[in-house]
Amino acid sequence: MGIDLSSPGGATLALLPEILLTFWALVVLLFVAWRHRDGYDMRTAGALSLLGYISAVAATGWLAWRGAHADGLSFMIALDGFRFASDALLLWIAGAVTILSVRWLIRQGILAPEYYPLLMLATVGMMLLAGAADLITLFLGLEVMSISVYILAGFDRTRRASAEAALKYFLIGAFASGFLLYGIALTYGATGQFNFGLIGAQFAATPPTLMAKLGMGMILIGFAFKVAAVPFHAWAPDVYEGAPTPITAFMASGIKAAAFLALARVLSEVFPAMVELWRPVVFGLAVVTILIGNLSALSQTSMKRMLAYSAIAHAGYLFLALWAHSDEGTAAVLVYLLAYSITTIAAFGILASIERAGARTVLLTDLEGLFAVRPFASMGLSVCMLSLLGFPGTFGFIGKWFLLSAALHQGQTVLPVIAMVGSAISIGYYLPVVLAMTLKPTRTRQAHQTIRFPRPARIAVAICIFAILLLGVWPNTVLNFATQKAVQLRQSALPLGNR
Amino acid sequence: MADFLSSIGYEHWVIHVLLGLPILAIPAILFSPVKSARYIAFGVALTELVVGIGLWWAYDSSRSGMQFVTDISWVQGFGIGYRVGIDGLSVLMVLLSVIMLPLVVWSSWRGIDQKQRGFYALIMALNTGMLGVFVATDLFLFYMFWEMLLIPMYFMIGIWGSANRLYAATKFVIYTFVGSFMMLVAIIWMVAVVAKTTGVTSFAYSNLLDHAELLRPWGAWLFTAFALAFAVKVPLFPFHTWLPDAHTEAPTAGSVDLAVILLKMGTYGFLRFAIPFFPMFALSKTTGMVMATLAVIGIIYAALVAMVQPDLKRLIAYSSVSHLGFVMLGIWGSTVESVQGAIMVMVSHGLSTGALFFMIGMLYERRHTRKITDYGGLARITPMLATAFVITAFSSIGLPGLNGFVGEFLVLIGSFGRYPWLVGAASTVVVFSAGYMLWSTQRVFFNRLTNPLNEGIGDLNLRELAVIVPLIVAMIWVGLYPAPLLKRTSGAAHAYIEMIQPVLPKPALADPEVHR
Repeated sequence: MGIDLSSPGGATLALLPEILLTFWALVVLLFVAWRHRDGYDMRTAGALSLLGYISAVAATGWLAWRGAHADGLSFMIALDGFRFASDALLLWIAGAVTILSVRWLIRQGILAPEYYPLLMLATVGMMLLAGAADLITLFLGLEVMSISVYILAGFDRTRRASAEAALKYFLIGAFASGFLLYGIALTYGATGQFNFGLIGAQFAATPPTLMAKLGMGMILIGFAFKVAAVPFHAWAPDVYEGAPTPITAFMASGIKAAAFLALARVLSEVFPAMVELWRPVVFGLAVVTILIGNLSALSQTSMKRMLAYSAIAHAGYLFLALWAHSDEGTAAVLVYLLAYSITTIAAFGILASIERAGARTVLLTDLEGLFAVRPFASMGLSVCMLSLLGFPGTFGFIGKWFLLSAALHQGQTVLPVIAMVGSAISIGYYLPVVLAMTLKPTRTRQAHQTIRFPRPARIAVAICIFAILLLGVWPNTVLNFATQKAVQLRQSALPLGNR
Repeated sequence: MADFLSSIGYEHWVIHVLLGLPILAIPAILFSPVKSARYIAFGVALTELVVGIGLWWAYDSSRSGMQFVTDISWVQGFGIGYRVGIDGLSVLMVLLSVIMLPLVVWSSWRGIDQKQRGFYALIMALNTGMLGVFVATDLFLFYMFWEMLLIPMYFMIGIWGSANRLYAATKFVIYTFVGSFMMLVAIIWMVAVVAKTTGVTSFAYSNLLDHAELLRPWGAWLFTAFALAFAVKVPLFPFHTWLPDAHTEAPTAGSVDLAVILLKMGTYGFLRFAIPFFPMFALSKTTGMVMATLAVIGIIYAALVAMVQPDLKRLIAYSSVSHLGFVMLGIWGSTVESVQGAIMVMVSHGLSTGALFFMIGMLYERRHTRKITDYGGLARITPMLATAFVITAFSSIGLPGLNGFVGEFLVLIGSFGRYPWLVGAASTVVVFSAGYMLWSTQRVFFNRLTNPLNEGIGDLNLRELAVIVPLIVAMIWVGLYPAPLLKRTSGAAHAYIEMIQPVLPKPALADPEVHR
């Protein structure tokens, strides 16, 4: 049943999507070393990198279709449905961000095509991080991703905010990597193993030592930094606001997704035996992240900052699914991340089109009266806001319902109530966006005249909006797919645990 | 008639047509020329009326339980289905909705002169949402309809409302959304609890109702979550402050839909979900006392506040709070009479308050003011409008012979056994309601015509008569001969009382109906 990759050559095949994407990244890098003069070169580089994403998706699909597996061998990379689903999710995010970036970069005068190879390498890092079955791979993936994104965050070199964002992200990121690395070292010290399954089996057999507990704590803190969970969130608003808008979308959706997918795998494969230990931590993180994220978002005037705090709050909701520690919870992580990434990318895509060259922070007041000039863009952004709010009829609602359901099925009732309190607060900052766009009059006659919505971005955003609405009323396919993939994660973890 | 309807398979498609037709009409309205938008909307509204009115005959009042049932799996594996049905609790509400729809469209004929396509599209969306709430027998579906209603209402108030519209629209959405957010947790929790014991994950109303016993340990929490959502919508006394703003600022069509349908969703929710699911807690002595007391406070307080309102619409809005208090009192009276009375108040409040809002809208179109002091002496120049208004005012007060009396009387006698003191207090409101209604009628239509601006006001035209006359006819008919309505609700009321009978605490005074 399926192809067995438990040979040295098979190990290479297991990494096929990552290898292909790296190859294409190098191709694009070569191309931009040769041609980097004008917008045409920029566009070609973007198109080439899209080819890279498509080939990686094809490779992932091929592996999944052939039912690739590796029995009796502890791989450094997972070979299960959960990894393939994660890869598809991350590749879709990267592809969408590329489409949003193409014209935006040219319009903002950022003619530096090495943007695309960096984005691709960051994606390779995210895929390694989410698919890692080994602490070394995990760290490698995290670093490849982070270092690329440090550069991308500061890509708009002429703007001080962007440089500040890059520096902040770098300092905090290095700090987080330090925590994670220390945690990995302690875990290795406690067990003598790097492989997820082997460590998990050892913890199941013998009660964890203090060193192992410390290691777990450090790893959790490292991840908490990366997903911007309170109290490790202080960097996020500044970085999100300063970074180029497509990169903000990439960070808010892609990096968060990769980190959560990896965290879900680590918690259920490495530390399942210590569930009683990490559940209270996840509980506490969820409560403070939801409440503080939502409350801080209330007072924001800049759209990017508001969405940054909203991203923090959404990380809090995702902790509910981790707390559940069940198949349904893992499936909920996938579904919620898909819903959240679609919505976030569409929202940032619309915001990016509103930004004018020069004044790059869109304030809430800038959106006033948008409906009169740009009815479709403002309707799209309204749909995004409702989806983030978790309003019925949007995909965001399905995601939230699935999260609550996962937690409630495990008998947890406090967290869902907190999550809904958070949602109730969040109407206080999502609704004003809709209000400003549709109900308030335009301030000046010239307002919104400078909006440029290039066709590729427009098509990508339109598809996202359509998906939000369609999956909001017909989520069957996605739900069934996620439920099956998530179950596969457990199955791959089981044989190792039994050994 | 019933034979004819069953010969065309009416019971199989009526609900789907009622729900689907307005949705299909939305793109047609949006992409039609501006001038034809209202004609399309009116055509759809008439079709809805013709299709929906058949329920009057097709609904079999001799059977209890759901009729016109459809159960189609929607999200497989998660127990969510497109489950709809109509019973004695909902049949009158559905009928009221379809009757109001053409009137609402027609009343907006002249008043809405900008962005017409958007307006009629929203009316259509609102209609599907309202009907959906009343026919959904799947809690997931119910919650979706319940929340999705907010969007058309929000934009209707926010775009076509009067001066303070943004404030009112925001307040409306925030109150309702915050009120109902715990309901989602409660629904999922109930399903999880039931699934744990029975192994069946299903959001079906019947499934949860059959296993309501399993929910008893958490009854207090779950009931509170539901009750919060419904109490805001009713609105019960301390949660009512959004209503005067929303009612006042909304355009006529919005006010009418709010008053006639949306408020009833709250009381319907209590009767359909909150009490049957958790009867032990909901009907316990303490909860009953709290709810009935809040209802009576609402009845009297709102009537007193209504007296001093300078704005006609605000006055009617407060009178709504007062009337809905009667519904709540009747629900917690927990006798067949009081529950039937509650349903009757729901219907007759819809008729009379709907008519009042229509007429205030007509006045507003003529004079662009709603202040009572700007009017005076209109009876001489607009005799038809004055007559209609006076009849409706009497019906709102609850004059015997008109519709308002039937329901309030049933509520009072039905609840007397359980809450004699509260019923005594509530019955004093007849004085206050006569006070605010008659006083405002006098100041608007009688007195001396002092304001020269009022002299040019024309009387009702044919279109406006067509809106008002059916309502007046219905008021008189229901007042004189309520038996057909009572017959259609009695089955549901009896079934409801039978269901909650075992957990009912003994009433304060002996009630022959309960002890039979």
